[in-house]
Amino acid sequence: MRRLVAFAMVALMGLAQPAPALAYLKFGFRIGDRTVDVKWASAPVRYFVNERDIPGVTATEFGAAVGRAAATWQAVPGTTLGFAFQGFTNAPPTGMDGRNTLGFLERPDLDRVLGATSLLLDAATGALIEADIFFNTRFQWSVAPQGEAGRVDLESVVLHELGHFVGLGHSAIGETERTATGGRRVLGSGAVMFPIALPAGSVADRVLQADDAAAVMDLYAADADRGDTGSIRGRVVKNGRGVYGAHVVGFHPATGALVGGFTLSADGEFVVAGLEPGPYILRVEPLDDADVESFLSGDVDVDFNVTYAPRMMVAPRGGSSGAVEIQVEPK
Amino acid sequence: MTGARLHVLVVFACGCLLAVGTARAQGSTEGPSLRRHRVALSGGLAWTGGYPIGDAAADLRGNGVGSSAPPFTLFRADSSIDGATGVEARVGYSLTRHLSIELGLAYAEPGITTALSQDAEASPIELEAERLAQYVIDVGAVWQLPRPIVGRMRPFVTGGAGYLRQLYDERTLVETGRVYYLGGGARYWLRGGHGQRRSLGLRGDVRATWRQEGVDFEGKTRTWPSVSLMMFWEP
Repeated sequence: MRRLVAFAMVALMGLAQPAPALAYLKFGFRIGDRTVDVKWASAPVRYFVNERDIPGVTATEFGAAVGRAAATWQAVPGTTLGFAFQGFTNAPPTGMDGRNTLGFLERPDLDRVLGATSLLLDAATGALIEADIFFNTRFQWSVAPQGEAGRVDLESVVLHELGHFVGLGHSAIGETERTATGGRRVLGSGAVMFPIALPAGSVADRVLQADDAAAVMDLYAADADRGDTGSIRGRVVKNGRGVYGAHVVGFHPATGALVGGFTLSADGEFVVAGLEPGPYILRVEPLDDADVESFLSGDVDVDFNVTYAPRMMVAPRGGSSGAVEIQVEPK
Repeated sequence: MTGARLHVLVVFACGCLLAVGTARAQGSTEGPSLRRHRVALSGGLAWTGGYPIGDAAADLRGNGVGSSAPPFTLFRADSSIDGATGVEARVGYSLTRHLSIELGLAYAEPGITTALSQDAEASPIELEAERLAQYVIDVGAVWQLPRPIVGRMRPFVTGGAGYLRQLYDERTLVETGRVYYLGGGARYWLRGGHGQRRSLGLRGDVRATWRQEGVDFEGKTRTWPSVSLMMFWEP
């Protein structure tokens, strides 16, 4: 789900939870005492596009925008992810009908929601069975190649929702500020999967960022390519105790790539994976740039200052760094 | 002793003195040198200077509209490789008394220092140094200048190229590159140097080294100075 100002996690037709993170959050599903990834079991994923036109966007233009966004995800090197357009349909982009459908929907009640993805999964395996995406007609949309002032770029939002469609949660690589109306305004965004959209008219979110690529590599890496990336692991500690819900961002100075991870247990341990091998600067920050519920449930600790790991950490090819402990101070 | 025999001895002695005088005169002109077609071994300490390896910005896409929208900088990281003292060994083969070719191996453990700044939510800090294990294998030529600087010291110029191998602290990742160097120095013979076997002396080098690839966050060619002081031995 993507909102202009305030945000929440994508809707799931099941009891999903953040999986132990490699790269950023992905959807997980609890089966017995283990958490499995929510993902498509096979490729390509077949989808339909609703035939409805809306002001400014014909169904054909909508289908083309979806095709471009699908191709962008498919183009991440070393993944098995694939999409296949099955045609136009008059079926709405909601409900369980055995089809994956993308389309516009009138949802004036959701005045800050641009679009949302619903997922149906197999409770026995965690595999996705069906997914639908709706885009809210409450907003003015554009498919102009360079964007249009005052109109939301459809391809950018499709790209974000397709990320949920394949099992990805939200990235927390971004900075925001509070607005006078209580919402949030993006200052900077480091991932298509950041939960708050760039301003209307921007087409910058048509391009996947390093964090997005790392996440989809984590879920759909081809077996032959799994050894090409590395990971960094460690622990975030405050007053001698682990911190739950800290956001850990790895910065690769040679490429400028920013890839995030989270501490997802009470002992504060984290893994940032899907990293191009090399040295990384680790920055730990509280989840205070969007509603915490956009990322995690539970007692997330946001009472600490931004802190850096004491030294650069090296992600080796096909392996993991030694563990680093990062001490944070309360605000 | 007859007068004729005395005359012969005086002539012989004069001849010997003349020969010694000629040899000394030649030695003072050319000074000591390596022997032709001989191997010389050198080993000692080498100091390599520090150099920058990149000023990188952790940029997010800004909230402006359009392709020229400025980024939002989360923080900046300014990194450099520190100067370090290591060891160096060289094996030379003299093609002539003045020109030799050398194979060198140097090892040092320089640190990578990174200074972080421009973070709106954190104070500027400097990270602990990440230690590198650095190897350089090179091949070069050394040309000894024809005249000594003073007494038993002779200057030389040198140049060459090599292979750089840098391993990060945990030795889990390797970066490689190429190095080129130009420089000069002097040898000082403590023993030998005039055609005798088992010559021994001191050698000092000053070089400028250019490096391509290796650990660098901007992919630029970098230059650093190095100074080495070694013992040399010619068996």
